[in-house]
Amino acid sequence: MNVTDRMIGQLTSGEREAALVICGVTALAGAALGLVGRHDVVAWHGLLILLFAGGFGFLLMTRIGLPEPTGDRGTSYYDDPIKAGITLAMAWAVFGMFMGVWVAAQLAWPDLAFDGGWSTFGRLRPTHTTGVIFGFGGNALIATSFHVVQRTSRARLAGQISPWFVLLGYNLFCLLAVSGYLLGVTQSKEYAEAEWYADLWLVIVWVTYFILYLRTLARRREPHIYVANWYFMAFIVVVAILHIVNNLALPVSWGHAKSYTIWPGVQDAMVQWWYGHNAVAFFLTAGFLGMLYYYLPVRAERPIFSYRLSILSFWGITFFYMWAGSHHLHYTALPHWVQTLGMTFSVMLLVPSWASAGNALLTLNGAWHRVRDDATLRFMMAAAVFYGISTFEGSFLAIRPVNALSHYTDWTVGHVHAGALGWVALITFGSFYTLVPRLWKRERMYSAALVEVHFWLSIAGTLIYVFAMWNSGIIQGLMWRTYTEDGALAYSFVDSLVAMYPYYIARAFGGLLFLIGAIVGCYNMWMTVRAVPEATRRAADEPVAAAVPGE
Amino acid sequence: MPEFFHRKLERSAIGFVLAIIAAASVGGIVEIAPLFTIDETVEEAPDMRVYTPLELAGRNIYVREGCYACHSQMIRTLRDEVERYGPYSLAVESQYDRPMLWGSKRTGPDLARVGGKYSDFWHVAHLVNPRDVVPESNMPSYAFLARNRLRTDDLSGHLRAQQALGVPYTDEMIENAARDAYGQAAPDSAAAPGVGERYGPATTVSAFDGVATQLTEMDALVAYLQVLGRLTDAAYRNTAAPEEAPDPAE
Amino acid sequence: MIDLDHQAVVAFSKSWGLFYLMGFFLCVVVYAFWPSNRKRFDHAKISILDRDDKPGKSRPWK
Repeated sequence: MNVTDRMIGQLTSGEREAALVICGVTALAGAALGLVGRHDVVAWHGLLILLFAGGFGFLLMTRIGLPEPTGDRGTSYYDDPIKAGITLAMAWAVFGMFMGVWVAAQLAWPDLAFDGGWSTFGRLRPTHTTGVIFGFGGNALIATSFHVVQRTSRARLAGQISPWFVLLGYNLFCLLAVSGYLLGVTQSKEYAEAEWYADLWLVIVWVTYFILYLRTLARRREPHIYVANWYFMAFIVVVAILHIVNNLALPVSWGHAKSYTIWPGVQDAMVQWWYGHNAVAFFLTAGFLGMLYYYLPVRAERPIFSYRLSILSFWGITFFYMWAGSHHLHYTALPHWVQTLGMTFSVMLLVPSWASAGNALLTLNGAWHRVRDDATLRFMMAAAVFYGISTFEGSFLAIRPVNALSHYTDWTVGHVHAGALGWVALITFGSFYTLVPRLWKRERMYSAALVEVHFWLSIAGTLIYVFAMWNSGIIQGLMWRTYTEDGALAYSFVDSLVAMYPYYIARAFGGLLFLIGAIVGCYNMWMTVRAVPEATRRAADEPVAAAVPGE
Repeated sequence: MPEFFHRKLERSAIGFVLAIIAAASVGGIVEIAPLFTIDETVEEAPDMRVYTPLELAGRNIYVREGCYACHSQMIRTLRDEVERYGPYSLAVESQYDRPMLWGSKRTGPDLARVGGKYSDFWHVAHLVNPRDVVPESNMPSYAFLARNRLRTDDLSGHLRAQQALGVPYTDEMIENAARDAYGQAAPDSAAAPGVGERYGPATTVSAFDGVATQLTEMDALVAYLQVLGRLTDAAYRNTAAPEEAPDPAE
Repeated sequence: MIDLDHQAVVAFSKSWGLFYLMGFFLCVVVYAFWPSNRKRFDHAKISILDRDDKPGKSRPWK
C-alpha cells in the first residue's frame, strides 16, 4: 500500500467525493481562465491550474473505491497533511536556495544566464524570494501550525479535506507565482509579485486556513489557548489583511494577466512597505515565534522561562510592527511625520523582540549541556540569538541618519538574510528535526552527525553571507557620499560597483554552503522516514530469537 | 473588569481574533489614511502629462523584467544624491504610477531622472550588451527585447483600466492607443503627428531602437527610459521651500 | 480650508494613536499580571511537555 493509498484511505467515501468536486471546480476555473485568456500568457496559468487540480482529481478518482476508514478518527491526531507539508517545505527550500545562489552568482558573473528573458536577474530574483519565503517558510508554517494547534489543544484538526485544501491550494499559489515570474507575469510589488488571479486564489485558501484554525481551537480540550497559537493566529489574520489591501488591483481584462494597482504613487509606496514590513513581522516573525514557543521548550524538555513575558511580547509585536513600515521610505517623498512615526516605533519594537529572544535563551538556562550535545536544540538556540541580533540591527537601520547610509545598499540585503537565514531557516530546521522523528514515530533522526554537519554549514554560510554584505553595504554607502577636497563627488557609481565584486563572490559562496546544508538536511530526513521503526524491527527479530535453542 | 473581559475574550477564539485585529490595524490606518488627503498639500504640477501608450508599454516591460530590483526611481533629499542624480523626487511626480517603482536597492544607479541623459543609441547598445558600453557592469543582457515585437492589440485595454482608476486618459487617447504607440516610434509615418496632438508637443517621437519599420519591446523600453523625470518640470521649480511659509503679517 | 482637513487628519493620527497604545498596553499588563491568571499560565507552561500523543476526551472547564 503506497502513501497516497494510505492518505486517501483515511477519508470516508463522502469526503473523497467532496474532494473530487473541489478538484473539478478548480480545474474548470483553470480551463475557463485559459480559454478567456487564450491570447495572453495567462493561458499558461489556466493550463497549470487545470493540470494541478486535474492531477489530484485523477488520484482521487482511481482510489475512490478504497475501503472506508476503520475506527474512530477522533482518537488520533491528523498528521498526514503535516508530513506532506514538511516534505514540500524542504523541496521548496532546495529550489528557493538554489535560485538564490544562482542570482547571487549572476551579480558576480553576469553572463551566467541563458539567452532569453526568463533567466535574467530581474525575473529570477522573485523566484528566489517567493521560493524561500512562501514556498519554504509558508509550507513550514502551515505544517507546524497544524501540529502545534492539535497538540496544544489536544484536539484533532477540525476537518478532513480542508487541511489538504489549504496545503495543496497554497502550493498551487506558489507555483503560479514562481512560474509567472519566469513568464514575465508580475505586479512588481516586492514580496507580493503574483498577479491578481493568483492573489484571489490565495484569499480563498487563506480564509479556509483561518476557519480551520479557529474551529480547531474551538474544539480544544485545554482551557487556555497556548501562546504559540496566538502567534500562529496573528500570522494568519494579519497576513490576510495585508494581502488583501496590498493587492487591490484592476485587471486589464478577465483574460489578461496584467493588472494595475488601485494605489497610485506615494500611497502605493506606503501601502507596499506597510505590507512589506509586516510580511516580515507576521509571516517571518510571528509564525516562527509560534514555532519557537512550542518546539524549543519541547526539545529542551523545560517549560518556557516566563509565560507572562511571552504574552507581553506578543501584544507588543502585534501592536508595534504595524507602525514601522514607513522606515523603508526615509528621505523620500513620503511625508516627514510618517517617516518619524515609523522610525520611533521601529526603535520601540526592540523591547518586545528582545523579550522574546531573551525568553527563549533563559529557557535554555540550566540546560546548556544539552545545547552543547544536541545540534537540534542548538539550531533553535542559534535562531534565538540571530533573532536578537537582526531585530537590533533592524531598529538601528530604521534610525533616519543610519538609514541615509544603509538604504539602497547591500547592508539591507545582509540584514534581511541575517533574519531569513539565521532566524527563520534555523528555527525551522530545529523544529523539523524535532518534529520528523515524532511524526514518523522514529526514536531519533537517521544521523545525529548529519544534523551536526547541517548546523555548522548553516552557521558558516550565514556568517559569510552576512559579513560580506555588511562590508559591501557600508563601503557602497560611504563611496556614494564621499567628497573630494574640492567638494566634488569622489567616486562614480561604477567605481562603487567595481568595489562590490569580491563581496558578491563571497556572498554566493556563503549561500552555497547554506544550500548544501539544506540538501544534507533533506537526505537526513529522507533516511529517517525510510528507516524501519525500532518497534517493527524488534518484532521481526523475535521469532528468530525464540528459535535459538538452549536459551 | 479587565480580567473578566480578557478571560472572556480568550475563552472564545473569535474574541481573540478581534483583539488581534484591534491591535494590528491601528498603525496602518493612522499612517495610511492621511495619505488620501495628501494631494491637497503636495506640490502642484499642472504641466504634468500622462505616459503615452508606448511609454506605458515600456513601463510594463520595466516591471516585467524586474528592473526595479536593482534600480531605484527615488532621489532622496540628501546632498550627494541630488548632486549625483538631480533634484530630489517629489510625490507629485509619481501620481500616475501604478505601481510606484521607487525601488529598494541600487545595484545599478537611480533612474528617476535618466530621461534625456543618454542618446537612444546608447540605451539600445547598453541594453543589448551592457558590457560593450560599461565594461565593469554586471547588468544582464536584454538583447531579446530588440527581437520581440511589441504587443499593441491590448494597449487600449491598458489605458482604459488606468482611466477607470483615475488617470486622466481621454477616450480619444484610448481609441488611438495602438496607433499612437506605432507613431511615436516611427517619426516619418502618418501616425506620428497624432502623438504630439494628444500628449503634448514636448513628447519625443523617435525611432528609439534605430529601426522605424518595426515596433519592438526595445522601442517601448527606451521610450520609457527617456521620459523618466520628464513628465513635469515641477522638481526644478523652487523645491526646497519650507512646509509652511512664514506669514509676514504676523 | 481643504488644507485644514489634512492637518486635522494628521493631528488626529498623531495623538489618538498614542492614547490607544497606552490604553492597550495597560490592558495587556493587567491581564498578564492578574493574580488569578497565574494558575492557568503555569498549567499552560507545563502542559505542552506532556508526551501523551492523543487528543483529549473531556473539556475540563465546561
